[in-house]
Amino acid sequence: MARLSYPLDNRRLVGIMFLTPALLYILLLVGFPFLLAIAFGFSDVTVGNTDLNFVGLRNYFAVWENDIFRQVFETTIRFTLVSQIFILIFANILAIIFTQDFTGKWFARFIFILPWATPVSLAMIGWLWMLDTKYSPIDYLLLQTGFLGPNGILSNSRNLFWLATPDLSQISVIFVQVWRMTPLATVILMAGLSSIPTDILDQAEVDGSRFMRTLLQIKLPLILPIMVIALLFSMITMFGDMTVVYVLTRGGPVDYTRVLGLYSFQVGIEGGNLAQGAAISLFAFPLLLAMAIFMLRTASRAEVQ
Amino acid sequence: MSIVQITSLKKYFDSVRAVDGVDLAIDQGEFLVILGPSGCGKTTLMRMIAGLEKPTAGHIEIGGEDVTDLPPRKRGVSMVFQSYALYPHMNVFNNIAFPLRAQRRELKFDKRAIREKVENTARVLEIDSLLDRRPRQLSGGQRQRVAIARAMVTQPSVLLLDEPLSNLDAKLRANARDELKDFQRSSNITAVFVTHDQIEAMGLGDRIVVMSEGKIQQIGTPQSIYDDPANEFVATFLGSPSMNILSAKRFRFGFRPEHFLPKTLHDNPENSRIFHYYVKRVEYLGSDRLVYGYVQGHERELTLAKVPSNVRVSLDIEGDYEFAVHNRDIKYFDNISGQRIEQQSLAQAF
Ligand SMILES: Nc1ncnc2c1ncn2[C@@H]1O[C@H](COP(=O)(O)OP(=O)(O)O)[C@@H](O)[C@H]1O
Ligand SMILES: [Mg+2]
Repeated sequence: MARLSYPLDNRRLVGIMFLTPALLYILLLVGFPFLLAIAFGFSDVTVGNTDLNFVGLRNYFAVWENDIFRQVFETTIRFTLVSQIFILIFANILAIIFTQDFTGKWFARFIFILPWATPVSLAMIGWLWMLDTKYSPIDYLLLQTGFLGPNGILSNSRNLFWLATPDLSQISVIFVQVWRMTPLATVILMAGLSSIPTDILDQAEVDGSRFMRTLLQIKLPLILPIMVIALLFSMITMFGDMTVVYVLTRGGPVDYTRVLGLYSFQVGIEGGNLAQGAAISLFAFPLLLAMAIFMLRTASRAEVQ
Repeated sequence: MSIVQITSLKKYFDSVRAVDGVDLAIDQGEFLVILGPSGCGKTTLMRMIAGLEKPTAGHIEIGGEDVTDLPPRKRGVSMVFQSYALYPHMNVFNNIAFPLRAQRRELKFDKRAIREKVENTARVLEIDSLLDRRPRQLSGGQRQRVAIARAMVTQPSVLLLDEPLSNLDAKLRANARDELKDFQRSSNITAVFVTHDQIEAMGLGDRIVVMSEGKIQQIGTPQSIYDDPANEFVATFLGSPSMNILSAKRFRFGFRPEHFLPKTLHDNPENSRIFHYYVKRVEYLGSDRLVYGYVQGHERELTLAKVPSNVRVSLDIEGDYEFAVHNRDIKYFDNISGQRIEQQSLAQAF
């Protein structure tokens, strides 16, 4: 009897079908803009004159010579590193809490995931109001509790100017980034914690280990590779991010919160110099690539079985 | 003297009665095997002894102290899991040292004492050359030794072993079984060993506890539970191939295939029961012939005979033969409860 052959029985065909959406996404929305940015970076293209003339590394030298760029680059690295430290601490604590048994866990998890599920720009508009120079609810609370206002503990003024002083604006931006990225890192760490075999944890308990020892000597070392991945995710997201500062500070006051993503946008799109904008954003690429390779190798080396 | 005393112990998971009223006394220094089919509650029972699972009802005493509500670390018990549960990120030394460090305060060990203890235990289990390795660099047999070393290093009052040999291949398993037994004898530790493998149970246990559906079916030496099963479950669970069971009017009776032999091989057929046996199929297993057939009057109940190959009796397919079983080898069971019935009380039934 002749057997009918269905197209869906063909492994290759089905494989290709399943891969296509992901490939299309990467090619069209990541690959193409990326190649275009590289092409722009080696050209003299501007918004006014879209001819691509090859100019070699001229844009890169120009950018590197630029003092603002250097400061922006340094600010970006500083923001990223400082916020990663806090993200890692908070994400670990929260992941441990959320993998314990307690009533209302489901609701707590749901509430907590919201910052990450909310569209960034929308969330930032919320923070813009929370940190408003005049009407900040935080200032209001501090005022009511005597931390602000005449004879206030923190300041005699009625406001702290969250987004307007050099120190506070940087702290605010880092804080908001931590607020926004901690949920993702937490979810990744939670997945890691719940993938630890229960036998191992039961064994630790029978061996006489208490909470802290089990945490520090069993759980954390076992999720170390996953922690590295979580860190990599949030680092790369943060390094290239411009939305937070674009909405909150526009890089100000002066240049204190100007980061690479925003600067590239400001030079390339708002300033019309597409070539230099591309060159600025591409400066991050080799750095991120090296970091990603290093971290992935660390993770796979630390991986157990 | 019993070191562990378990009284009316129960554990229900919602409607599942994993352990359903277990009473058990474990003697100091004995090798006790808990034997039962998969899902009968062996692991749950062990976890309750270890303190990892809180009983629904009942009590556990260890060394005369009621430990029912105590956490694992206050019970002086250690456990080897089926998966060995070695800490994958620690080398063998740190794996073995882990319980010592965790209980340092209770056991009052300093660093030097810990090193000494780990090295001694490793030497006993012949893994002292592996102390720097990670678990993934070890063979299955070596992992099992590391797990046992880690369980032994604190000199627990009871060592719980949950199917520790089931991850080893057949050849290693027999070897590991002997070593485990020797080790238990020489260290004189009380061991509770869980298995679903009757051969393992028979070979290892000073006493065997047979479990089914959360309940203890019988406790006894390997010989006594094999020769003198308390009920039909124990009778058929032990032995391979398992005991033949045939129905009569008011009871069932059974006999083991190795006791079911051609009549001519019995010395005094007066003490035996004769059956007309129709042979359907014969399998040669080297030293034995396994015969499949039917006893007259029981044509729906496949009956097996295990006849040594070296006896010169020819058994042909589709032949009719006279087989016999010695009266003492026939066991009688209640039709409904499956409990053993004494032969005398059935004297008139035949
Ligand atoms: N944590 C649990 N939750 C629900 N049911 C369980 C749990 N642990 C065991 N059981 C059930 O209890 C019964 C006994 O399981 P277990 O003690 O693991 O048996 P064994 O070790 O003899 O194979 C099984 O039916 C199993 O499904
Ligand atoms: Mg089990």
